[in-house]
Amino acid sequence: MTAGPTTRPRSVPVLLIWLALVLLAALQIARTPFTADLGVFLPAAPDARQRLLIEQIHSGVPARTLLLAIEGGDAVARAQASRELAAALRASGLFDQVSNGDQEGFAGFGQWLLEHRYLLSPAVRPERFTAEGLRDAIAEATSLLGTPAGEAIKPLLPRDPSGETQRIAEALVPARTPRSEAGVWVGRQQPRAVLMATTHAAGADTDAQAVAIATARKAFEPAAARGLALRISGAPLFSVESRARIQSEVQRLAVAGTVVMSSLLLLAFGSIKAFAAAALPVATGVLGGIVAVSLGFGSVHGMTLGFGSALIGESVDYAIYYLIQSRRGADDPSGAGRGWLSWVRTSWPTVRLGLLTSICGFTALLWSDFPGLAQLGVFSVAGLVTAALTTRFVLPALQPDGAGGSALSRRLGMTAVWAIPRLPRLRLPVLALAAVAALLLWRSDGLWRADLASLSPVPQEQLAFDEALRADLGVGEGGTLVVVQGPDVETTLQRAEAASDRLEELIDNGTIGGFDSVTRLLPSLRTQRARQAALPPPTQLRAALDAATQGGPLPAARLAPFLDEVEAARHAALLTPASIAGSAVAPTVDALLLRRADGSAAALLPVTPVTRSGIDARAVGQALQGVPQTQVLEVGDELRTLYARYLGEAQAQALLGALAVVLLMGLSLRSPRRLLAVCQPLLLAVLLTMGALAALGIQLGILHLVGLLLVVAVGSNYALFFDMLHESGDERVDTLASLLLANITTVASFALIWSSKLPVLSAIGSVVAPGALLALLLSAVFARRRAPLAPADNARA
Amino acid sequence: MNARDRRRLLLGLLAAAAGQALPARAQGFDLQALMQGMAARKSGQARFTEERIVHGVEGPLTSSGTLAFTAPDRFERHTLHPVKESMILEGQSLVLRRGDRTRRTELDAIPELGALMAALRATLGGDAAQLQKHFRATLAGTESRWVLRLVPLDAGLARQLSQIEIVGRANDLHSIALQMQGGDRSLMLIEPLDSPSRAAQ
Repeated sequence: MTAGPTTRPRSVPVLLIWLALVLLAALQIARTPFTADLGVFLPAAPDARQRLLIEQIHSGVPARTLLLAIEGGDAVARAQASRELAAALRASGLFDQVSNGDQEGFAGFGQWLLEHRYLLSPAVRPERFTAEGLRDAIAEATSLLGTPAGEAIKPLLPRDPSGETQRIAEALVPARTPRSEAGVWVGRQQPRAVLMATTHAAGADTDAQAVAIATARKAFEPAAARGLALRISGAPLFSVESRARIQSEVQRLAVAGTVVMSSLLLLAFGSIKAFAAAALPVATGVLGGIVAVSLGFGSVHGMTLGFGSALIGESVDYAIYYLIQSRRGADDPSGAGRGWLSWVRTSWPTVRLGLLTSICGFTALLWSDFPGLAQLGVFSVAGLVTAALTTRFVLPALQPDGAGGSALSRRLGMTAVWAIPRLPRLRLPVLALAAVAALLLWRSDGLWRADLASLSPVPQEQLAFDEALRADLGVGEGGTLVVVQGPDVETTLQRAEAASDRLEELIDNGTIGGFDSVTRLLPSLRTQRARQAALPPPTQLRAALDAATQGGPLPAARLAPFLDEVEAARHAALLTPASIAGSAVAPTVDALLLRRADGSAAALLPVTPVTRSGIDARAVGQALQGVPQTQVLEVGDELRTLYARYLGEAQAQALLGALAVVLLMGLSLRSPRRLLAVCQPLLLAVLLTMGALAALGIQLGILHLVGLLLVVAVGSNYALFFDMLHESGDERVDTLASLLLANITTVASFALIWSSKLPVLSAIGSVVAPGALLALLLSAVFARRRAPLAPADNARA
Repeated sequence: MNARDRRRLLLGLLAAAAGQALPARAQGFDLQALMQGMAARKSGQARFTEERIVHGVEGPLTSSGTLAFTAPDRFERHTLHPVKESMILEGQSLVLRRGDRTRRTELDAIPELGALMAALRATLGGDAAQLQKHFRATLAGTESRWVLRLVPLDAGLARQLSQIEIVGRANDLHSIALQMQGGDRSLMLIEPLDSPSRAAQ
């Protein structure tokens, strides 16, 4: 917008356009979904195997498995409560699988194995059904008779004399199982019963997870009345609670931010009208930010809103600059209503440059591989631009001559005027401190921390409980995973079978304790066909059986069911993912075989270490060499590597962002001396902030890096204003008052998010609040010297 | 996984295994004295032959192999005939081998097995307290021929196993008999092999 030098701003059209845009924004926001899932702080576009990892974390079985612990009472009471709870959860229909160690829960599973034994048993080979093969098989199958295990085997013998069911069960013996007591799973360290429940709903469906959790709590009420306590953990609980926490935090921050900011502005301006005018760019900016994120991402994350409340602190600066600085024009002989014109002439270029530098800084976030950070970047850029434009075009229409400051803001200005000539005395101490900080940073080893947990909003204590429960249940969140991929299910299963053969050898030689594989429940079609082909026709089988049972413990006459069932198995339909859907084994198969929309698939083979030792992933990898598209993932390590890579990329982006800020300032200041004077306080502010964090033993992550970038982006505004002051040499009290006030609001709002319980926000706040304060202070300390100020010229009361 | 089959499988493998020969010097003969004698022995090896009489199956099922015990908690049973299989227990970890297959798992996941194992290791290691935690133990006979009768306290195990009867002389075990609730039973005859501590006697 351009306005002639002598005209009043075109108030009506400007306000109408503004109103129309706000209405449009409101419409867009009304149809924007707000989310709170934790996935946004996982990287978005990793390579193929990392994508798999993220896929697992997002939507794998761990993402929908609740871990439950029953505490209090005695072992018998806990076991009873465990059975009741498991029964209620199974009956609710909300869960794919509920496991509490109770054998009754596995009846369907065992029945399914028995029915499909000739397609599943690895022992089914042609030689198995010769006279000699059957004799050996029967000897092995009957070796458990006369022992407690015999009771289960005896009734099966007429149907399964070669012991295929035993053979399958044996292969499924897990290397790490929960301890069992009174018939249910119990903790190893603490007296508690433990259960696992996998919801039917996807992990990302937080509402459904909340319902599942509420169902579990309700089902436990009778036991709770008997004095027992239910504790829940697991990823679904974390997402449900995090969402609630994020929502309440965002509300708290929004309310607190509004209250603090309003009080500051009211104190500073002493007028409701000025306060309303100052709030306008902020509110419009927040709207603009939300709309931009909504258009760009399709939804807005609660964390972004929380961060938005901190952005209020920066966007309110523009309004403060305008309202205070445009006041001067009112005293001009040119008359009332023209204050905005001189502000546009003198201060707007500096504000605009500050805005551009801020945008440079935030733009670095746009390329972040963490969707959450990219959202913050979009929100900030759009929000700041909107706020600045509102300040530039809408505020002149409403407050052409700015706003009169209160006594407080004048005192602020006077304090600044008093302090500024004295501050340069601090140069030496500051430089000394900076040297100490630099030394500290140079000497410290673990300055940067590559840890995803630092982004997690889940409290430490809950994570510890989760870990303890996982140890009890033998389900590691991390652990070692062999991943076998293929273009289709059949190829994937064939490769998984090849990988399983290699892993079996590693169990034999003690490298690993065991592993799980989907192919034990769903062999490849090729293997199933081979097994079917190994089953002899009835006459041949009868002859072999007659010979094999001569003088043996099982007379052939009693084995008619065996002959019938082998014959049936020869013609049985083969097992496919579709045919086993809905069966007792389906949840297990789904957990171990991921099928993607494009037809490709991945088999996951979790590897268990030999009791109380680690896994030599290199040895596992070596053993698997030659199996196509097969990798060993060490989940914990892999996530750390992944995060470290993103930390490295983010560091590069931040440096580029900072470089862009410097370039931009250099281009517009066109003087190396001025540029140096502007950069010096910024560099020192960053150095001192990092040094302080290092001295406090706080390790820096991606979020601290974002914070440092914000310090440069925000701090450059202050440095530029000091540069402008030096160049123009006038307007001290008001400009200084506005700078100080702007700084106070920024520091206050970032201090607010510093206090947040969400690590993402508190980490950013912990850097920006002190960093922004330092940036202003150091800008003053290192401002180029001028002739001493004459109070008469400047202290205009 | 099929927990029932798995559990029974392991339980059976173990229940079928027991005992070995141990020398001792004994004075007044009671459970305490027997256990003290047993505790003196740090390791031992034996051959075994086993006969199982199972309702509904023709003739006795026989098997044979070797047993080994090393204090405090390592126990091995190697069946050589009619099929090769082995079970090695050390602390809480259990390794099973059948044919060319190996399975590793943890003992406390299968409480009945844990109780049986406790009976065996406590007897061999001379740990009366551990034995009495899982079984009601009664000792009859004299030092030259004693009979230790163990009735399981654990309800789950008691549903399957009615009692274990161990017969021995001094701290040599001669036989271990398992009596199942359904009437099936097994009898393991034990023949000590020479071992360092035995040779030193």
